[in-house]
Amino acid sequence: MTDLLRLAHWLSPAFPTGGFAYSHGLEAAIASGDVRNANHLEHWLFDILTHGAGRNDACLLRAALDPLADHAALDAMARALCGTAERLTETVDQGTAFARTVAAITGRALPPRAFPVTVGEAACTLDLPTETVVGLYLHAMVTTLATGAIRFMPLGQTEGHGVIARLAPTIARIAALPLSLDDLGSAAIGAEIAAMRHETLDVRIFRT
Amino acid sequence: MTLHQPLVPQMQRSIGAACVALVAGQPRARLTALDQSGSARIMLPALDKVPEVVILNTGGGLAGGDRLSYSIDIGAGLVARATTQTAERAYRSTGATARVDLAMTVGAGGWLDWLPQETILYQGARLHRRTRIDLAAGSGVMMAEMIVLGRAAMGEVVTDVALTDRREVWRDGHVVALDVLRLDAAALATGAAGLNGARALAALWLVCNGAEDMVAPLRAAVPEAGISALPGRLMLRAATRDAPALRALMARALQTLRQTRALPRVWQM
Repeated sequence: MTDLLRLAHWLSPAFPTGGFAYSHGLEAAIASGDVRNANHLEHWLFDILTHGAGRNDACLLRAALDPLADHAALDAMARALCGTAERLTETVDQGTAFARTVAAITGRALPPRAFPVTVGEAACTLDLPTETVVGLYLHAMVTTLATGAIRFMPLGQTEGHGVIARLAPTIARIAALPLSLDDLGSAAIGAEIAAMRHETLDVRIFRT
Repeated sequence: MTLHQPLVPQMQRSIGAACVALVAGQPRARLTALDQSGSARIMLPALDKVPEVVILNTGGGLAGGDRLSYSIDIGAGLVARATTQTAERAYRSTGATARVDLAMTVGAGGWLDWLPQETILYQGARLHRRTRIDLAAGSGVMMAEMIVLGRAAMGEVVTDVALTDRREVWRDGHVVALDVLRLDAAALATGAAGLNGARALAALWLVCNGAEDMVAPLRAAVPEAGISALPGRLMLRAATRDAPALRALMARALQTLRQTRALPRVWQM
């Protein structure tokens, strides 16, 4: 139980990872009108989870949860996978902040790495099933993006949290997949192009 | 032969490997290795100042179980271009996956344009392709690839494929760019964050010193594409309803890159 609480703490919105500052291209999709309501938001996040960064991060996180993994090599791979400048900022800044805080409160040395890699490296000492770690990680990702959307688009708290709740079975399904580095792959072309377009938006609230 | 199930004889399996190595020379590039077996072929139409390497699959398209590999080595200081002789067609497979491996190296100060013709995936195609480019110090690569889902002109609507298309660029033994396009039936049905009905996809990469300087001119030339850059690495991505729109977009992007003086002479031809 203690280890589960530790992980819940690390992945909670209160943890100083700065996740609230990143929209992963969603801000550009809202600005362009691709995402206008709760249904659109749910569909967008579903696609990210099943065919985009959610699934890819699950592959990287699973690999990083192996205590014997070459975390430096995984970090290089995670950085190379970033197809836009802001994606790199998003994963490295969050990973760096996460590693710094976990290192400070646990006394462990954790070098700055891409977010899923550093979460795996930090969590590999916890006595938790891999599925649980991946599930909580993906849940944090979805929650961060959905609550960000609530602040930015005309969407009520209840509607936004309904989206998060409805995505729980999808998160659980992806978390249970026995994904490895061989399974890396994305079809989230729209999200990637949105992340690229975000760089040239005139008015931006989020950093990505 | 029916529209949705092109006739590919059950026994037809293309297996092949081809490799070529070119080095810079005066007055022209020199061929130092050329080996080919099975269905994989390499043609060298001209060993001009900018030699062109053309790869070819004599099997006439990819069927389940095919295995093709190509390797292209570009020597130090040499500027070369590589492409495919035709669009690559991946046919329906009921079981096995076709595998294609492409390995390219560019020596110090060299340059490679990797501009294959489009890959057309038929309904039910199963393809696993890996493209790896290794760059030495001071060298660069420009790669542009297009994937087209189905033959729109024949009314084919693709709802199921199994594609893993992995591209990676390494410099001095470190991976600097990695992208894996993974398409299956569910991926083809994704919404605005995914394909959103697009049936033609393109990716263009520029990996070289100063690649990021091309962001502004490219954004001006192809505003409908997504364009971003990191130091030494530029990425362009585009998705359109059909192939002609994508070809037009990519032609504009390539034209823009050719007009710049920041790139090797090959671009100004």
